[in-house]
Parts: sequence; structure tokens; C-alpha cells
Amino acid sequence: MGNSFQIKWVFIVFFSLVAQIFILRDVALANVAFCFIYLWIIIKAPIHTPLFYLIIGGFFIGWVVDIFYNTHGIHSLATVFIAFLRPTFFKLLTPVNGYDERSSVSLSEMKALWFFPYIFVMLLSHHLILFLVESADATLLMYSLLRTFASAILGTLVFGMLELFNQKN
Amino acid sequence: MNQLFQFLIRQRIILLFVLLELINVWSIFKYDDFQHVLYLNTTNRWAASLLATSREIKTYHHLGEVNQELALENTRLRQEIFKLNAIKQPESKVPYFVSSAMLNRYAPVASKVIDQSTQMSQNYLTIDKGLVDGIKPGMAVISSTGVVGKVMSCTSNLSLVVSVLHIENNVSAKIKSTGELGYIKWPGIQTEVVEMMDVSKYKKVLKGDTIVTSDYNVVFPPNIPIGIVAKVGLEKDETFHQIKVMLLTNFSTLKYVYVIKNHLLDQQLKLETVKPKPD
Repeated sequence: MGNSFQIKWVFIVFFSLVAQIFILRDVALANVAFCFIYLWIIIKAPIHTPLFYLIIGGFFIGWVVDIFYNTHGIHSLATVFIAFLRPTFFKLLTPVNGYDERSSVSLSEMKALWFFPYIFVMLLSHHLILFLVESADATLLMYSLLRTFASAILGTLVFGMLELFNQKN
Repeated sequence: MNQLFQFLIRQRIILLFVLLELINVWSIFKYDDFQHVLYLNTTNRWAASLLATSREIKTYHHLGEVNQELALENTRLRQEIFKLNAIKQPESKVPYFVSSAMLNRYAPVASKVIDQSTQMSQNYLTIDKGLVDGIKPGMAVISSTGVVGKVMSCTSNLSLVVSVLHIENNVSAKIKSTGELGYIKWPGIQTEVVEMMDVSKYKKVLKGDTIVTSDYNVVFPPNIPIGIVAKVGLEKDETFHQIKVMLLTNFSTLKYVYVIKNHLLDQQLKLETVKPKPD
């Protein structure tokens, strides 16, 4: 946990929020696939980040996004939810002999077979809550589910690409 | 009691999770209350100013298109104004009926100023519409603020416009409030000032009166603003007022103009040139 590491994290938080709020807010592929790049913060947080801080962080990040999306709490709800479930997903996905000595979530340290399911499950549970609560209407159920899957697939692709650029050789 | 605290500390993460989710759920369902307390949405002052700045940056690249669209929309609105003006006639005792040909007499065409001069004594503008777009020599050219000039010659895609700032280009004009007729002439010095001629010294002219195009104008539609009377003078032994008029159109920053097609011009000219002899 060096100083440069912390500065890097401040940058990641800042830029993913800025990108989300100012650029991706107006972007939707075919009106079903949305990209929520701010989840990068929760997904990429170091494995040993105390859950307490992760949840509080998720709450505030979600609220910042909510303010700009005019969704008054839905993003925050979904983000806190996946922050809370993150250790559970780790446990489910990690084999018994484990990745315990690893400190960061990255494609270079984990296998692709671990990394992509992890991102997909995180995004899927986030989007499921987000779109279901947002539509709040049973008639839109199928449409919301379509949006959920489309956005989760798009998000996995985007995060996968980001991670490829992020890899240290 | 101690055990309760122990329990709470052990379960603090779940408690925090439940607490935060309750706050969110409450905010989602009690949106209106919450909004009044904190304004946590885009009506928030900081959020709004941030979004406005970002929009400014993004739209900057589309300014050209936006201008184009606005010019087109203005064209439509202007046509509407011509129609309404044609319907609205001065109080006449005779029942008056406006034919649909008269109603649709004027049609504006928005076009962009490609090149122009204001420094010479004979100034011209080049605009990006020509014969293909139905522009013909003799048509009026106005801007959103007032008269600009008259189309002099056309190629298939471009037209040359004689500006009002041309010492030989006179525009028939009247004083809006009194209806006094005269004509506008540019003396060739300042680009903001023209002179109004032929207004008798026995008529009353006040500083601040609006000068518009007259009703008996072959080129311009009636009541297009030209300028504001800035100075009224009278020299000894002169029969006419010396009126200086401030132009409303700012020629140095002109970007878009409207060429006015007059569908009845041919008929009008035909009637007026071939006058039959009275018996």
C-alpha cells in the first residue's frame, strides 16, 4: 500500500465517476445496453479492503451517480448490494487451494476463467437490482431483464478490454 | 448488555449494510420528501453547473449544425410572419379578402454569408444559395435584424447581393409611426449610418422613430425594419429633412441571411411596365 498506489486509486475513482457522469450518461447501445463504468471502483478494489469501507464507499459513489442520473438512491442501493456480496462471490469462485496471497483483482494474476465470471456476476447482480427497481413495473419485466443481460455483457467486454490495457508486462 | 455490544460489533458490517440499504430504499420510495431536504438530483446547483459546462464543451462541436437548424426554423417562422401580416390588414371599411396567392406571396430561403465587404463605397455579399435553390436577381435579402440588400446576379449555387451599404442602392422606406414615405441611401462613410431622403420638412420626424420598408416596394416585403432615426436636421432653404438613420443590421457580423422569394413579382412587374393607355 504505497503512496503511489493510493494516488492511483484517487485517480481511478475520480476518472471513472467523471467518465460515467459526463460521457456515458448519454450513451446506450440500441437503447438496451448501458455501460456503468463506475463499478470499476468496487470491482477492482483490493481484495483485502475491509468490507466496512467498501460498503460505505459504494454508498457514496452510488449517491454521486444518483445525483446526476436523477435516480435518487437506486444506483446506491445496487452498488451497496454488490459491495456487500463481493466476498461471497470471491468465496464461491475461488478454488479451495485459493488465491489468498493475491492482493488485487486483475487478469494477469487471476485466470480468465475466474476473472470474467467474477465481473459478469458482479455486473449482473448490480444491473438486476438497478433495472428492476428502476422500472418498478411488472409489464416491463422482460424488457428490464433484457437490459440487464445486455448491459452485463457489454460491461464485461468493456472491463475486459480495460483490463487488457491495464496489464503490466 | 455487554454481550449485546459484542454482538453488535461482530455484526457491524451486516448492520451497516442494512442501514445503508434502508436509507436508499427510503429515498427511492419517499423521493419527494428527500428531494426537498437535500436536492440530491440535477437541480442541485453544483451538479447543474457541472452538467452545463460539460454540455457546452460537447455542443461546441455541433455549433455549425445547430446554426443550420436554427436558420431553417427561422425561415419557417418568417414565412408564418409574412402570412400573418398579409391577413392583418389596416382597419378598412370595405370587406377585404386576402387571396391565398397573396398569403403565400413571400417565401424566405435561409442562406449563409460566404464573403462580404463593408469597407468599400460599393459593398457586396456572396451567399451560398443560387439558381438551383430558386434564387433570382432582384430578390430581397434580409437578416434576422433588418434589411441587407438585393440579389444582383446568380450562378447555379451562389449569388451576389448588393448590400444596403452601396452608394447607388436605394431602398424605398417609410417612417413606421406616421407612414411618411421616403427612401434610404447610404452616403458611403460609416457602416452603421444611412440617410433617409425625400421626407418633407413639414412632416414631423422624431429621434427614435423606426424606419421600415414601404408598402410600395417592388423588392422588399412591407414593414421589414431598416433602422432607427438617430438625428434629424434641417438646413435653411431646404425642402426636405436631413435624417440620419442607425441601421439595425450589423453588417460586420452577418452570418446568415434570408433571401425572400416573391412569387407575384413577375405579375406585378408585368402589370406595372405595360400600362395600357386610358381612353
